Amino acid sequence: MKAPPDLLLREHSMNEKNDEKKKVATLTKERVDLQKLSKILSGGLSVAGQSAVRTDARRKVTGTQRYGADYAQDGFLHGKILRSPHPHALIKSINSDKARALPGVVAVLTAKDIPGRNGFGAIIPDQPVICEDKVRFVGDGVALVAAETEKAAQAALGLIEVDYEPLPAVFDPREALKKDAPRIHEKGNLLSQNKLRKGDVDKGFDQAEVILERTYQVPFLDHAYLEPDICMAVPQQDGIMLVEGPMQAPFTVRRNINAVLGVPVNRVRVRQIPMGGGFGGKEDSPIDLGCRAAVLAYRTGRPVRMSLAREEVALQTCKRHPMIMKVKIGAKKDGSLVAFQGVIYDEQGAYASLGPIIPPAGGSHIHSMIMMAGPYEIPNVHVDAYLVYTNHPYGGAMRGFGAPQVHIAHEQILDELALQLGMSPLDIRRKNGFRKGSATATGQVLDQSVGLQDSLEACAKRFDWDRKYKNRGYVDEQRTKRRGLGVGMGWYRTSIGTAGDACGANVHVHEDGSVLLFTGITEMGQGAYTVLPQICAEELGVCLEDVRYVTPDTDMVPESGPTVGSRSTTLMGNAIILAARQVKESILEAASEILAVPADRLEARAAKIFDREAPERGITFKAAAAKCMATGKRLIGQGWWAPPTPSLDPETGQGNPYFVYTYATHMAEVIVDVETGEVAITDYAAAFDVGKAINPKALEGQIEGGVAMGMGYALMEKIVTEAGYIQNLSLRNYLIPTALDVPEIKSVIVEVENKYGPYGAKGIGEMPNIPATPAILNAIADACGGRIRTLPADSESIFRAIQEAGGPPDK
Amino acid sequence: MQKVGLSCKVNGKKVDLEIQPDTMLVDLLRDTLRLTGTKEGCREGECGACTVLLDGLAVNSCLIPALKAQGKSVVTIEGLAKAEGQLDNLQQHFVAEGAVQCGFCTPGMILNAKSLLDRIPDPDDKEIRYAISGVLCRCTGYQKIVHAIKAASHDKQQIPQG
Repeated sequence: MKAPPDLLLREHSMNEKNDEKKKVATLTKERVDLQKLSKILSGGLSVAGQSAVRTDARRKVTGTQRYGADYAQDGFLHGKILRSPHPHALIKSINSDKARALPGVVAVLTAKDIPGRNGFGAIIPDQPVICEDKVRFVGDGVALVAAETEKAAQAALGLIEVDYEPLPAVFDPREALKKDAPRIHEKGNLLSQNKLRKGDVDKGFDQAEVILERTYQVPFLDHAYLEPDICMAVPQQDGIMLVEGPMQAPFTVRRNINAVLGVPVNRVRVRQIPMGGGFGGKEDSPIDLGCRAAVLAYRTGRPVRMSLAREEVALQTCKRHPMIMKVKIGAKKDGSLVAFQGVIYDEQGAYASLGPIIPPAGGSHIHSMIMMAGPYEIPNVHVDAYLVYTNHPYGGAMRGFGAPQVHIAHEQILDELALQLGMSPLDIRRKNGFRKGSATATGQVLDQSVGLQDSLEACAKRFDWDRKYKNRGYVDEQRTKRRGLGVGMGWYRTSIGTAGDACGANVHVHEDGSVLLFTGITEMGQGAYTVLPQICAEELGVCLEDVRYVTPDTDMVPESGPTVGSRSTTLMGNAIILAARQVKESILEAASEILAVPADRLEARAAKIFDREAPERGITFKAAAAKCMATGKRLIGQGWWAPPTPSLDPETGQGNPYFVYTYATHMAEVIVDVETGEVAITDYAAAFDVGKAINPKALEGQIEGGVAMGMGYALMEKIVTEAGYIQNLSLRNYLIPTALDVPEIKSVIVEVENKYGPYGAKGIGEMPNIPATPAILNAIADACGGRIRTLPADSESIFRAIQEAGGPPDK
Repeated sequence: MQKVGLSCKVNGKKVDLEIQPDTMLVDLLRDTLRLTGTKEGCREGECGACTVLLDGLAVNSCLIPALKAQGKSVVTIEGLAKAEGQLDNLQQHFVAEGAVQCGFCTPGMILNAKSLLDRIPDPDDKEIRYAISGVLCRCTGYQKIVHAIKAASHDKQQIPQG
């Protein structure tokens, strides 16, 4: 990857850094030119910023990493959920006598058996642990079974007799808002209505010389993490309930279980175990499984294991919210945007999950509203957003949390606008895209770390846009295959916009110099167990292998919030730095006593501490740690970091909801067969302003995986429902991209420093999949003239869109 | 159901067992032999996480009755590293290239790659992508996996096997 010289790009600085690291290593062994060394030491990082090998890779390639399903099952009861076969129905009666009588069955529980609150949810506890009088979607839990074997538990489900009275159901958010619509929850079907008002949108459209209006529709999406959900609840001798499972939000799981069991928070212990993918889905599903397994364990006094089959995962767990988005955009002839109006019908499904607002700007719905006008400076913006209950499965967090949907709308309408204005898709973005000092739709002035335009230029260069743009058109003599290009721009927040968003970290240094790092951030594959120790090692001046990351356990680690919102590296990174500095103070003090050199002249690198002015004078980090231990100096650090306070006016949607954003530009080249609608992605580049890459290789991995996921959204993924029933519960008919579908992705990392980030970093986990979907849709439209506004863009839809556009171009 | 005898080799060791004839290979490996490196993601041959080598060929162990292994050799991810704990060539490159994220598909990916490299020592990108197309990965976008396999194939040609 060769970087453009005019940008501060990763590869360039990386090589320098590697060289510097070598120099430091060499120099510290020998007598050296002091000036030279201090120059090296003053600037560079030695652990952060490096492509360190993942700390868990070895276990994962040898098959020794144990996931939940790999844990021994001896002594466990097997828990199962009886699910509603109706999308909406009253429960008239339940008879579980026959199920109870089945050999091996230990417990059959109904709503009356819940010890505490019969409800859970990440934001509002509106989902019953066991439904009492009513079911609201196909998959709602009606009874719980625990048995000695999985077979017996399964058989018992079939023996529970439930008498339902089916109710009329509703599956479209617009229908659900009508007065005579079936009422799903007592408070009505409108869960949340939010408004964003900037400037005067009517006046804005009066000034506009071109106005476009479009409607976009996106379906439910499945996370399709490879590891099916699993949870184990193990009652402890002292009456504590221990719950273990793969999960992104152990603290959210704990605060639900303690309420459901009716015990204080400190009587529940939640432990994260290795996770085979999450993508936001395992923020929510472990609450569901955790509460249910805990209730079974509480009632039986036995360890209970609940493991879902693939189809059960699809049936029961949250999805990406489907939306209907209406967009109206107005521009001057020179391409400057003057007005944007949007309406979002955001389908929540049966339960609130992560949809509704946590003030001021938390929750996926509010996030969609804030992001809807895109990373563009538009003086007049007006968005109305409705979050609506239906009798479908529920929407939750999925990589991008409400942002992928709205990007599909603003990026596509912008391209259509550019076409109408005779502008190139890049120029309209150059003209309107955020720069330092731009004001967002919420009126937030972006005063730092705004690398959107840099990402555009870097991407165009890497992709070779200008040359490729001239080569668009038919690629074969028969004129059946046509090449097109598409661009997708995006922005994404770091942090979650809630008033309580904060992270805590503890750093313990031991007498031998080894380190324990305690945080509540979980590993789902994204690399937290490598990147966070890198930050810790950097700050302490030790090597990565000296730091052991303690697996999150709510009994041991400080409250850290959930592992979501692309917040971990930045928020937790800062907390770790603060914690490490407390210990480092002791370490340097001890070293100062040993070396008789003032502490402020000491430098710690690679587990060695030396005099900056006379580097041959040094001791090991271990010796300093031992001295601390022997002299009673503090070896424990505690860090707590909260981002600048978020704000958002509930009436106008104006404020500073998130403290920093990551920016990206993606470019795709596709070839569409205009006779069949088939698409091949033939080239792809994606550039990101990440502030600072803490682990460039891990970051590339996030980009490549994210693009593949965004590609699935564009081309093939859709949960198909029929009267509330999911038709594609299996990976046989819910398709995700395979190695044959995904092209080689050219990643470009741009670093525009975030003054609030550790070493300048900001979030990246979710961003990569967001602009990918519209970049591909725009490329398809450019290639074949057909515009896909209802996803996915499968061959049939593309074929139809070509016909609607009056047939293939230039034919 | 009456139990039947199964005699095969698993990771080079001889295994003689009495099993239910309807036992699937994945269950024999995971539950009976406790070789849990073989993952189960869908139980219908779609995700490929349960891939093992049966006489050198990559198969979905969730679709294969254990009795199909009668008299044959089964290799799981646990059987790949050398006895001294030294990683196999493919494993090393998966680590070095950053081809591992959540890790759930990794055993299946590596065994598919192993089967490929045993047949075609110097595959091109297309052959690699085709060989692993039966294993789903939701994390990596496959790119670093393809690179790791490619790098391993180059290594393999330089180092004589034996």
